[in-house]
Amino acid sequence: MSTASLITTWKVRDVVPVPDQFPTSLRVLVVDDDPTCLIFLEKMLRNCSYDVTKCNRAETALLKLRENRNGFDIVISDVHMPDMDGFKLLEHIGLEMDLPVIMMSADDGKDVVMKGVTHGACDYLIKPVRIEALKNIWQHVVRKRKNEWKDLEQSGSVEEGDRQPKQSEDADYSSS
Amino acid sequence: MDFVNLLQRKFIDYSSSLHREGIVDDQFTQLRKLEDENSPHFVMEVASLFFEDCEKLINNMAIALEQKQGVDFKQIDECIHQLKGSSSSIGAMRVKNACIAFRSFSDGQNREGCLRCLQQLSHEYSLLKNKLQTLFRVSVASRCLYVCLVIFCRGNEHAEPFPDVLVFQLEKEIVAAGGSIPRVH
Repeated sequence: MSTASLITTWKVRDVVPVPDQFPTSLRVLVVDDDPTCLIFLEKMLRNCSYDVTKCNRAETALLKLRENRNGFDIVISDVHMPDMDGFKLLEHIGLEMDLPVIMMSADDGKDVVMKGVTHGACDYLIKPVRIEALKNIWQHVVRKRKNEWKDLEQSGSVEEGDRQPKQSEDADYSSS
Repeated sequence: MDFVNLLQRKFIDYSSSLHREGIVDDQFTQLRKLEDENSPHFVMEVASLFFEDCEKLINNMAIALEQKQGVDFKQIDECIHQLKGSSSSIGAMRVKNACIAFRSFSDGQNREGCLRCLQQLSHEYSLLKNKLQTLFRVSVASRCLYVCLVIFCRGNEHAEPFPDVLVFQLEKEIVAAGGSIPRVH
């Protein structure tokens, strides 16, 4: 049996679980050097029934993520931190763990928000963060996983060779 | 119970006045909503952290502005930014507004302007701290008095019975606030 046909025999959804329900025990890592903001965010996230770990240093956060690669579902990080810029942390996470990252700041300048978006943040929250903004952060986790399955399925159908590509419900692939 | 109601009314009135005077904004209300049976002193804990942080930042800025060899406006800017973030998270509106005004002088590298802003900021911070500490004292006093009355009534066979679970919870709160429970036999 060739590798190509091996890929097409199993469906991605059989291997990677699809969360079709609200994931209440989402594991969140929140990073902020401001102790007031950190404790406030932790409480709000706990009230949303999320599993929260807090960090007041970007370096510590990166260490925790490296030690436990599958231990977190999403990261929320402040932009301005003394030891490492929030955008630098965002880059590291993108390269090493590929987790969804939400940036936040008291700075609402368009250029900073743009920087967040271009560096790959899945969202940008302006402080003071409201609990309503945190209730829906699970959508970023689901969206990222869905995109990962799409990529895997797409690479699976490319390997098939002569077969016509299947018409799926969301046929608008961003990459060809 | 009339005195307890009076204290509770005082708490509500005082809390409303803080909003009216602009000392705190809606964000403070959001903070109070987060308090629950798992963390009944959450607002006090956050406020204490904020006071500590604020004093440290104000102190750092004062030292930075005193430097004869040249003021590090970048450091001032970072302090203002952090204070703006934490004051907006706790709902300290006037402190936050003082930070915004301060920012413009720091951006302009105007030392005199910064010194005036720092003074204004210290003033707003002191006002906030006094008002919030008073608010917390009234809150704790009304809770303590309520529990004392409850315990008194328990010792008095003619009084209405209170659910033990409620009394136990309130006793825990008094001890957590630094008080002690009078035992009635």
